[in-house]
Amino acid sequence: MTMPHDPDTKAKAARWREDFPTEWEQDAYVARREFAKFLVLGSALLAGANGIIAAVGRRFRKRAPRLPRLRIAGASVLPPGGSLLFRYPTEEDPCILIRTVGGELKAYSQMCTHLSCAVVYRAPAGEFHCPCHDGRFSAGEGRPIAGPPTRRLPKILIEQEGSDIYAIGKEP
Amino acid sequence: MPSGKSPDTGLRRQGTTVFTAVGALIGVVVIVQLWLVSASLDALLSGDMKVLVPAAIASLLLFFLNGGLLLHALAFDRRTRS
Ligand code: FES
Repeated sequence: MTMPHDPDTKAKAARWREDFPTEWEQDAYVARREFAKFLVLGSALLAGANGIIAAVGRRFRKRAPRLPRLRIAGASVLPPGGSLLFRYPTEEDPCILIRTVGGELKAYSQMCTHLSCAVVYRAPAGEFHCPCHDGRFSAGEGRPIAGPPTRRLPKILIEQEGSDIYAIGKEP
Repeated sequence: MPSGKSPDTGLRRQGTTVFTAVGALIGVVVIVQLWLVSASLDALLSGDMKVLVPAAIASLLLFFLNGGLLLHALAFDRRTRS
């Protein structure tokens, strides 16, 4: 049995007291030391969170499904500066096909990457506009250029065959 | 020094400065890591998978940096106790 006057017990008690000091200066020291340890624990958790995100991303990429090839009706007669709505790859996914003033065809998901409102094409400005919170995306790349959105509009890959236009895939 | 009395006050005052400085550095690095997590999440949601692994490696390196800083400061802590 350990006796209270055992030197080992006394040493342990001294160490214990060092971590619960009564003097202000000593207390500031201990508080800062423990706070630094706590921050490093937070740092470890954040590194772990980043690792998990990377792992989820890898799984996600491997499972990307093959999308169907779908003819976009009426696309061939789209005038420069015009736009056409279609759904791809499912009926639940509204998309927009545009012919820029320069005559180039581009297609994107019509759902704003902020809170999923439908974007509209503004040909003179060369941009998509989201009326919900005044978000704007460039028509050329679908990149966010103003307002709350931070992610670009998903691009729909298209292919021209004769006079027909087909949607063949989706870039995230 | 009698058993149970506080350790060297002068050394501990130095230690407070050391831990304040190290804590501030670690804090800045943790904020960078927080930014990395939010940027990675944003990239994951927008399907931009190529940045995820480099971001995770960077975050891990920053954690090692933080760990190194802490170990360095804890070595000082051991000196105040001995
Ligand atoms: S939903 Fe489009 S800007 Fe908010």
